[in-house]
Amino acid sequence: MSAALTGFLSSVLKPALDPVGLARTYYEFALTQVGVSAMSALMGAFRAIQTQPPQVIADTLLETSNSAPSDQAKIAQSIVAMWYLGAWYRPGQTGGGGFPPTPMQVISSEAYTNGLVWKVMQSHPMGFSPFTFGYWSQQPGPLSSFGVNTGSGGGQ
Amino acid sequence: MSTSTQAGTPEYDVIIVGAGVSGNTIAWQLGLAGKKVLILEAGLAVPDSREDYMENFYLALAKTPEAPYPALADRKSTPSGGINLPNPAQLPTPRATVLGLGKAPDASYLVQLQANGTNPKPDGKGNVRGLQFSSTYERIGGGTSWHWLGTSLRELENDLQMKTKYGVFQDWPVNYTEMQGLWAQAEKAIGVAASTVQQEPLEVVGLQFPPGYQFPMGPIPMSIVDQTVSGGVAGMQVPGMLDGDGDTNMYDVFVTPTPQGRNSEPYQDRRVCAGNTNCIPICPIQAKWDPTVTLGEALDTGNVTVSYQSVAVNVAVEGQNATRIDYLVWSSDANGNITKEMKSVTGKVYVLAAHAIENAKLLLMSNNRKGICNKSDQVGRNLMDHVLYLSWALIDENDNPIWGYRGPLATSGIESLRDGAFRKYRSSFRMEIGNEGWNFPSSDPYNTTMDFIQGTNNAQLNKNGQRLGGLALAQQLNNLLTRQFRIGVMFDQAPLPENRVTLDPQYTDGLGLPRPHIDYGLDPYTMEGFRVAKDVCSKIYARMGATEFTKTSSGDTGDFTYKGTDYHYYGAGHIMGTHRMGTDPNLSVVDASQRSHDVTNLWIVGSGSFPTACTANPTLTLMGLAFKSAQSILTALAS
Amino acid sequence: MKKLIILFAALLVSAKAQTQATAPPPIVLSPVIPGDVNITAKTVSIDAFQPDFDVYSWNTFIALNWPVGPDGKTDPRQQIGARGDNDTVWEHYRDVRDVFLPNGKKPSWNGSPQEPPVPVKGFKKGMAVLSQVGKTPNVLTDASQPFNTGPLIDQNGNYTRFQILINKTMFDYILNNSLYSKAGQKVFTPPVNFTCGSLASGSKPAVEGAIMVKASWKVIDPSEQSQFHSEEVVVCSPPVKEGGKPVCELKTMGLVGLHIAHKTKSASQWLWSTFEHVDNAPTDADVRSGNLKPKYNFYNPKCTAQACPANAIPPRPWVPALVSSFHSQVVRNNMFNLPIYAASASARNGDAWKLLLGVNPNSVWRNYELISTMWPTDPGNCAAVPGDPLGAPAPTFMANTTLETYLQKSNPPQPNVSSQCIECHSNATMTVPVPSDFTYILQRAQ
Repeated sequence: MSAALTGFLSSVLKPALDPVGLARTYYEFALTQVGVSAMSALMGAFRAIQTQPPQVIADTLLETSNSAPSDQAKIAQSIVAMWYLGAWYRPGQTGGGGFPPTPMQVISSEAYTNGLVWKVMQSHPMGFSPFTFGYWSQQPGPLSSFGVNTGSGGGQ
Repeated sequence: MSTSTQAGTPEYDVIIVGAGVSGNTIAWQLGLAGKKVLILEAGLAVPDSREDYMENFYLALAKTPEAPYPALADRKSTPSGGINLPNPAQLPTPRATVLGLGKAPDASYLVQLQANGTNPKPDGKGNVRGLQFSSTYERIGGGTSWHWLGTSLRELENDLQMKTKYGVFQDWPVNYTEMQGLWAQAEKAIGVAASTVQQEPLEVVGLQFPPGYQFPMGPIPMSIVDQTVSGGVAGMQVPGMLDGDGDTNMYDVFVTPTPQGRNSEPYQDRRVCAGNTNCIPICPIQAKWDPTVTLGEALDTGNVTVSYQSVAVNVAVEGQNATRIDYLVWSSDANGNITKEMKSVTGKVYVLAAHAIENAKLLLMSNNRKGICNKSDQVGRNLMDHVLYLSWALIDENDNPIWGYRGPLATSGIESLRDGAFRKYRSSFRMEIGNEGWNFPSSDPYNTTMDFIQGTNNAQLNKNGQRLGGLALAQQLNNLLTRQFRIGVMFDQAPLPENRVTLDPQYTDGLGLPRPHIDYGLDPYTMEGFRVAKDVCSKIYARMGATEFTKTSSGDTGDFTYKGTDYHYYGAGHIMGTHRMGTDPNLSVVDASQRSHDVTNLWIVGSGSFPTACTANPTLTLMGLAFKSAQSILTALAS
Repeated sequence: MKKLIILFAALLVSAKAQTQATAPPPIVLSPVIPGDVNITAKTVSIDAFQPDFDVYSWNTFIALNWPVGPDGKTDPRQQIGARGDNDTVWEHYRDVRDVFLPNGKKPSWNGSPQEPPVPVKGFKKGMAVLSQVGKTPNVLTDASQPFNTGPLIDQNGNYTRFQILINKTMFDYILNNSLYSKAGQKVFTPPVNFTCGSLASGSKPAVEGAIMVKASWKVIDPSEQSQFHSEEVVVCSPPVKEGGKPVCELKTMGLVGLHIAHKTKSASQWLWSTFEHVDNAPTDADVRSGNLKPKYNFYNPKCTAQACPANAIPPRPWVPALVSSFHSQVVRNNMFNLPIYAASASARNGDAWKLLLGVNPNSVWRNYELISTMWPTDPGNCAAVPGDPLGAPAPTFMANTTLETYLQKSNPPQPNVSSQCIECHSNATMTVPVPSDFTYILQRAQ
């Protein structure tokens, strides 16, 4: 489900060889925040459409065309934010005055360093560069090399 | 690990207050010469590794310069999304923080007039008073420059002679040739990466290197942001003054790589820069020099001791002689309960190196709050910052992305506008090209990401309030984030006696010491500089075909209006002026060696000694001056 | 990108993580250094793969510590530990002191090693010299851990000494590409790409890749020799006072730590194995439960946490020539986030010790344990730079208490700072800022 919601490959979010185990960490954390029944409802809604293309899954669960998204959609929003930014944002709590909302908390150091937003900009988290001296004077690799599902891979 | 002696039995030659750039540099030089040195550092010890600091950074709700360093803001936000800060009244060594800006004294260590929402006050003479001083600092082992950016520029020749050349403010009592030798020492001690060949175009603003001079290491490569801006400003010229008064010259606008204190080759047993894009607040791999390197060298001499958690509270003076320093040794338990014990230590020479605001505070507190070293009445006055203007823009969609958020935070700048006839009329400035997208001005990438997840428009890129998910979200974020860039402009603010640090009569810290009270404002000389810079930035963006997104007013603290236009300013973290140097003891606090005019065995060092702000980031210069001070101390000890 | 998964997709039973279902191949007493890991796991999960890597580590340790013949090469007719202790293969590798010579002089594999900088009573030609003395630029002092974080001082106040050696494969690459000098590095066309090892395949024999070994040594009393692999070596220290003479003495040194890094086809980020002497330090769990041995190499069980804070860096200045009054109090913190790492190492240790003791119940090699093996889970392809340059290593953090004493934060460990072989070594460059393929030794060139 997270792959569909985020636009990344599921093999990136939850590889078979997974030293960090973020998918599990995020699932358990979200559960503590939204509760079992809300999570089950969201997972159920996902399962009902899981054979659809990933973009359809994302737009459906996030209710992107709905000007007043439901509480369930807001939970899905927080799950997307968690993957992108490594922090839990309270569902429906928006920013203002030119500033983003403050998250409830950063989930962990590894959540921060594995945030998808840094991959989506074809870079690395501020504070953790896996690259070497001078890389910044050259163009980065293509977006697909950062794990974005630009092809027609299946959602999960 | 406090080490003290009874008053009257000097175990040490020199007592230094503060384990930052200046203090560690002087300690190192004195230790090499065989002198016994004690450093009294108010804050906590340098940790054995930066693991804890990095954890603080990773888990911080707001990645501000102070984020890795104690005392920490809460790691969990309040239910309404606020961040709780510790109350400075309950901390043993509170300090100025970015999160504390605009807050009341229960969150802001510096007691400042302008709380959030209060209007700044024009005074009828063209000045705007009641503004907040936006720069911050640390009080820990290693000092504030744990989180310096690394920019290691030399001042210009005319920076040091503003009075002679432009009839404004003061000349420095050190000349350019002498400074060149001192800068070279500092560049070697830090490990500055640059090439004189790349700096040659700046001869036009009076930047000169001695023939054959070599930096310790080769230059840091320019980022794609640098390269793009450089191409964009090719052939550009701007006038010295907007209305043509006083300076009708046209000035070339061009980009040069910045000499930086980060490794372009292995140096001092430290790694090469890997572009962690995190110089502020902390380099994870210490590729960027920080004062703990110099502190290590000082300790290696075997002649230097550091006493941490030791807050100097009084410098005892008899006549023209400092006779001892009284200090509080503090500890606090898990619940934050503080215990303290008063001690004293004597030496032959005393050095105050606690940074500009704390130095002033200590001088004003001494002698039962009557103050010392203040015959000139300049202690605490002439508080300056390199006031900072931020502008930001988005590269046109039809152009190549600019690939921000990569490399050190800044690797190049526009230095070519730092000098000219206009300095008689308005503040000069340097322009720092940021490599970190809209991170500084707009809290990105968090802001734009949340905008497109939640359908808001806080970062200004989601006018239609779209909500996206999946690949559409990824592609939109990629499209926008890779086109963001910003230019920061730093002004050599005018020194004004009414911009000052005093002891607040009401608020104290957890040790019962008075907190610094700030009176601050901006003047037409400085604000006119803003006006010109804003215009230059907009012209640059237009020339690049980029769309500007600078917000002229955030409706927050740090706003002012000048000639009908609203501006928002930030602090550069360059705190200067509070114990200015000069030749006349009636007009200055210290001499060219940073030795007090009034107390012959007391040196007061750091950027607080700067009589004018100049146009370069201050660290390289203040370190050069520290080398000079160390020499003068050795001379004094020998006689 | 997912090379290992492609290789073993046919064997895939389930994509979900599983606890270890099948046993890995046995550790063998063999002088043949494995060219690479041999994956026999039937499922794709860290739990299933880790034991294969730990077997590789023990097989490598055994082969590297195999006895040598008079020619300094491995002697298949002998058995490891048959006489208790033995001179080893890796100690006949080239010490990096003798690769990166003054003035960038061309090294030779068989040339005489550098002699001690001052005369030493009892010194015999060919004896190892543990030192790096004098003003060689950008050099790791061999009495201090990387980046000058701090020395490790034993319970007798003696400084632990470090030594780095490379095998012929790694040496040859440096020699053939003139990377032994600053001048040679300046004109080299990147990328630096050390030779990859590989398993035997069909008629092709196994290939030994570039191997670098880092050893940590402690001064021991000759009466302790039965408990250590030990050598009589010359130990040199910088002068006590600036301008003085280096201090060199003959000492009996016991091996307390061994890092083995091997570049292989399945690991363009190298495979990293680390071994420690079993008596180095208690674990943090041991300390909490009070389950302590009477004696450790680097820990005093009688000193309180207050008086002897764990893993504290000795105060400066550090003077290796003198006996220090400060003794390091080392604790092994658990940096592993998955139980398999400790469990697999423990199981392989048991198997290996059985084999070693079968050769000789007094084998000194019984005193060494594998901590773990770090391997890239997303490794790329030997030379090509993968999408994720670090290769998503497992375990996520790993430290040898004698070699990364001060980077062992465990509650939890921190990315980019806490000890992580691949992360840290990915920052390695030559004397010019060109990536040096995960080794810091090239920056020693003069």
